[in-house]
Amino acid sequence: MDARSIIASLTDRFPEDIYDADVESDIRTVAKVKPENVVDVCRYLKDELSFGHLCCEFGIDYPDRNEIEVVYTIGSYEHPVVLNMKAVLPRDDPQIRSVVPVYWNANWYERETYELFGVEYIDHPNLKQLVLPEDMLGEWPLRKDYKGYPNKTAKNLV
Amino acid sequence: MDEVEEREKVEPKIFDKIGYDDIPGVVMTDTSAVSDFLKKTKVQNVLNWGRKNSLWFMVNAMGCCGVELLATGMAHYDTDRFGIIPRNSPRHADVLIISGYVTKKYLPALKRIWDQMPAPKWVICFGDCAISGGPFYESYSTHQNIDEVFPVDVFVPGCPPRCEALIQAFVELQKKIEAKKDKGTDY
Repeated sequence: MDARSIIASLTDRFPEDIYDADVESDIRTVAKVKPENVVDVCRYLKDELSFGHLCCEFGIDYPDRNEIEVVYTIGSYEHPVVLNMKAVLPRDDPQIRSVVPVYWNANWYERETYELFGVEYIDHPNLKQLVLPEDMLGEWPLRKDYKGYPNKTAKNLV
Repeated sequence: MDEVEEREKVEPKIFDKIGYDDIPGVVMTDTSAVSDFLKKTKVQNVLNWGRKNSLWFMVNAMGCCGVELLATGMAHYDTDRFGIIPRNSPRHADVLIISGYVTKKYLPALKRIWDQMPAPKWVICFGDCAISGGPFYESYSTHQNIDEVFPVDVFVPGCPPRCEALIQAFVELQKKIEAKKDKGTDY
């Protein structure tokens, strides 16, 4: 399957959940997904379209649009196509269903996105901080309005 | 049974009567009076001479500078001739080398290592990251100005400094100890 037919299959199967789907090149496709049905879409991608490899999952903060995007980068071993799937969440209460039941390696990606952006994953098996100390939880350091950076003039700056 | 109980009751009273802490003309070894007295005499010079020639350092590789730290302890540089020996336990070590950025998560563990080392003990800040944070000085997770937490004697700039620079730092630390200017001992 090439990129065009993959996007066509995805939009035909989920006409209401997938929007802004586009083919950027022969190997790059993008799509946006409604946050409510992300698990169903991922299961369809994995079982029917053989997108078996979740390469990455992370977040992007857009304070002027008051949105946080969660990006799933999903690759395939069958056909040379990478899908960038985005879910748009409200910034005050970002909540999305966890895709750990489909892609098991999303576990630590989601924990990291949780500790850095504050995205709350529903039904995650072990949602806690990954590398940050526990008392930094709630500061969400990778959001654009994070104020906790240290003073720029370190005393011993060489 | 009764005798033992009676003795336990009696003994504290006897010590109270004698005045265990203040026998005139006698310095008890469980006070710091002996060491305080020695610090004012020439004996301290001899002690410092011994200390400066056995600076065992803690192998605590925290970043890429830690590789230089490990290499310094190996046979090529032969730091044994200065009495500088790498030790793997903080209980054996005299010198803590902060060899990398200190994150907020790692600082409690580093403090614990520092507390486990027996006094007298010294700190060397090794590399730009330990001095100021280096490339990570503006990060949300690094702890800046580490010299406010530990009494640092020698700073070694470089990214990373060479092994010779670390040996130079030890020589400078030896000079400080000999001149009684180090922060590890309370003079």
